[in-house]
Amino acid sequence: MEDCTSSSEQDYYCSDQDSLDGIDNDESHVQWVPPKASSCKVITKESLLAAQREDLRRVMDLLSLREHHARTLLIHYRWDVEKLFAVLVEKGRDCLFAGAGVTLVENHDLPSSSTIMCNICIEDVPGADATKMDCGHDFCNNCWTEHFIVKINEGQSKRIRCMAHKCNAICDEAIVRNLVSKRHPDLAEKFDRFLLESYIEDNKMVKWCPSAPHCGNAIRVEDDEFCEVECSCGLQFCFSCLAEAHSPCSCLMWELWTKKCHDESETVNWITVHTKSCPKCHKPVEKNGGCNLVSCICGQAFCWLCGGATGRDHTWSRINGHSCGRYKEDREKKAERAKRDLYRYMHYHNRYKAHTDSFKLESNLKETIREKVSNLERNELRLKDFSWVTNGLYRLFRSRRVLSYSYPFAYYMFGDDLFMDEMTKEEREIKQHLFEDQQQQLEANVEKLSKYIEEPFDQFGENKVMEIRMVVINLSVITDNLCKKMYECIENDLLGSLQFGIHSIAPYQSKGIEKATELSVCWNPKVTNTEKCPTRDYHTNGITKESNRPSGSGSLDESGCSSRKRPRKESTIDLNLPAEVIDRN
Amino acid sequence: MVDFARVQKELQECNKDIDVSGISIKPKGDNLTHLAGTIPGPLATPYEGGTFNIDIILPDGYPFEPPRMQFATKVWEYQAGNNETLKGLLVTTLYIASISVYTPAMLCSVALLHMVLTRHPNISSQSGAICLDILKDQWSPALTLKTALLSVQALLSAPEPDDPQDAVVAQQYLRDYQTFAATARYWTETFARTSALGVEEKVQKLVEMGFPEALVRSTLESVGGDENMALEKLCSG
Repeated sequence: MEDCTSSSEQDYYCSDQDSLDGIDNDESHVQWVPPKASSCKVITKESLLAAQREDLRRVMDLLSLREHHARTLLIHYRWDVEKLFAVLVEKGRDCLFAGAGVTLVENHDLPSSSTIMCNICIEDVPGADATKMDCGHDFCNNCWTEHFIVKINEGQSKRIRCMAHKCNAICDEAIVRNLVSKRHPDLAEKFDRFLLESYIEDNKMVKWCPSAPHCGNAIRVEDDEFCEVECSCGLQFCFSCLAEAHSPCSCLMWELWTKKCHDESETVNWITVHTKSCPKCHKPVEKNGGCNLVSCICGQAFCWLCGGATGRDHTWSRINGHSCGRYKEDREKKAERAKRDLYRYMHYHNRYKAHTDSFKLESNLKETIREKVSNLERNELRLKDFSWVTNGLYRLFRSRRVLSYSYPFAYYMFGDDLFMDEMTKEEREIKQHLFEDQQQQLEANVEKLSKYIEEPFDQFGENKVMEIRMVVINLSVITDNLCKKMYECIENDLLGSLQFGIHSIAPYQSKGIEKATELSVCWNPKVTNTEKCPTRDYHTNGITKESNRPSGSGSLDESGCSSRKRPRKESTIDLNLPAEVIDRN
Repeated sequence: MVDFARVQKELQECNKDIDVSGISIKPKGDNLTHLAGTIPGPLATPYEGGTFNIDIILPDGYPFEPPRMQFATKVWEYQAGNNETLKGLLVTTLYIASISVYTPAMLCSVALLHMVLTRHPNISSQSGAICLDILKDQWSPALTLKTALLSVQALLSAPEPDDPQDAVVAQQYLRDYQTFAATARYWTETFARTSALGVEEKVQKLVEMGFPEALVRSTLESVGGDENMALEKLCSG
């Protein structure tokens, strides 16, 4: 391990030495760029209407429709405007409308003064008390109201069909609202809320933030649902599965892993493999060596082979007065297998756990680092910029996180559970070596970075501080690159080569998990307040004092990393702690 | 609240052309929430010649919620040990009639027998529940009890075994249509054919089941000639 680090470190020193200034700029760049428009948006209660309007407006403009028709179309096509337009081009306007239950019969005859016969209550009612829907069906207002109430209570308010048999038309929401509010104002409100929330409920690209207690927000992503986002409430999660952010594990891997860690199946496994229950007191007994005669702490002696109670007299090869069958071979194999699986799991789990624990310890560094920086500032050194400390710390958190999640990934990637049939044994071995190589490099550098950041450099002299600064900056770049490479390797060489593309991971983001920005609603003054939210982190961290430097030019660091290209947000310092750490803080 | 004015009108409307449609709806008891409908078995089907009773319960939201309809169940009540011969007879009769839906052992184990006497893939032979879209999500307030019953009648002539309510019956329908049709016809003739038979035929049928002729005649008389009710009475006797 030691060899490996020093050699790789040397490499990086050589190659990076001359471009040191550039790196320096890059590092500051990470931090000083003001947030650009993010591809993820936070949708609050206030901006929900505006978010919906955007899509409604597009459809209304293109098809010159009224709002409720546009909404009906969009609900039917699950708010997928592109798909809606595709159907329009492919099948035409009439088919599009018929499929969604939109009927445009513009025969708005004035309400006839004569009476009409309502086919529902079978009564004659004055024309003024009846309503004709767009589909041309005319019933009395009482019956319409009853119908709407029943449907809203059934939870079908998003698509209330006309009362006529086999009429597929969806009722005009204005009429529904109008009639229902006369009798049940609260129900009309419920109806409105259902329509509004349909934008979230029926939309693949919008999901409720999984925070508990619920923050009331929803998150909208642009083109890719495999991403990790941070809601304005601070919760970071995987948009695809709504669990904590877990890349480079795929959602399925993470689900299996958390389940495995939670249930005690492994413990039970261990007990069945390593112990036998005593025939007298039924406690599990572990054999600690010697021959097959074992005695329990309760004093009972029994045969380790068959578990039967015996006397105490024995030789090395047999127990007096006791004989039992031989080992059954398949049982032995099974036990072997269980033992191997258990060791394998323990290997990965121990490392996963170790890195998560380091995480927790390192998160305490925030405080000490802050102190160190203020000490250094007091020391009146020539060096005035201490952003490298913060950046280094940030990089440490980020890489540590990647590292810890890489273990469950490896457990499933190279285990028998998921991809048994997809790779030959040889392929698997090659890939495993490739991956473990990268993992080890990353691990070594992360540990090194951690060590340097924990040094009491505020007590050191100027030269020593400069030296540490150089190392920290270098290591930051190295770990970032290694993370980037690991993700690339996973996306392209490991998961990418699989037959069934069910495993997708959120791409690596050098700057940490993307913070969703508030959806800008120009006419809503409330939003201007909330838009300040992301900057709040600055102050709470308290370590980004000189945060107003102008941003540098583009650099290798800015590109983040992913085989997939997507717009990325440059965010402020972002400590991506795992959920349990956040909970504790 | 059920719209009773409309139900009243529906009943009048329906019973007006009872001669044409053969469909009747009558209130069961005092209020109009529980009704009894009858439909004639469609021609050229195993149900031809039978008259089928449908239990109708109107939910509070009627007509904005669909009516609950199911085929009436026949209930035989007998006490185990009370009349072993009759019990045995009943069990044999039902066993033959149902052909493998119930085993004799199953029949013997119950003291109260609920039997749906219409054999059809979309009708549960246990509860009489009908699998019909317009009685569920495709219901429209513009439909009426009569149109719903007409749809049930149409279902009798065109079963949909791919969307079955009763898997056993549906399988038989698909695999062995002959046996299915024969059983359905037997059930229709035995249990749903009340008015069509003459008195002598009814007597003969009940005597064939093993009841004494004199008892059969007096029982039939006491129930006004209804064969099923007579059978019921004989069994529980």
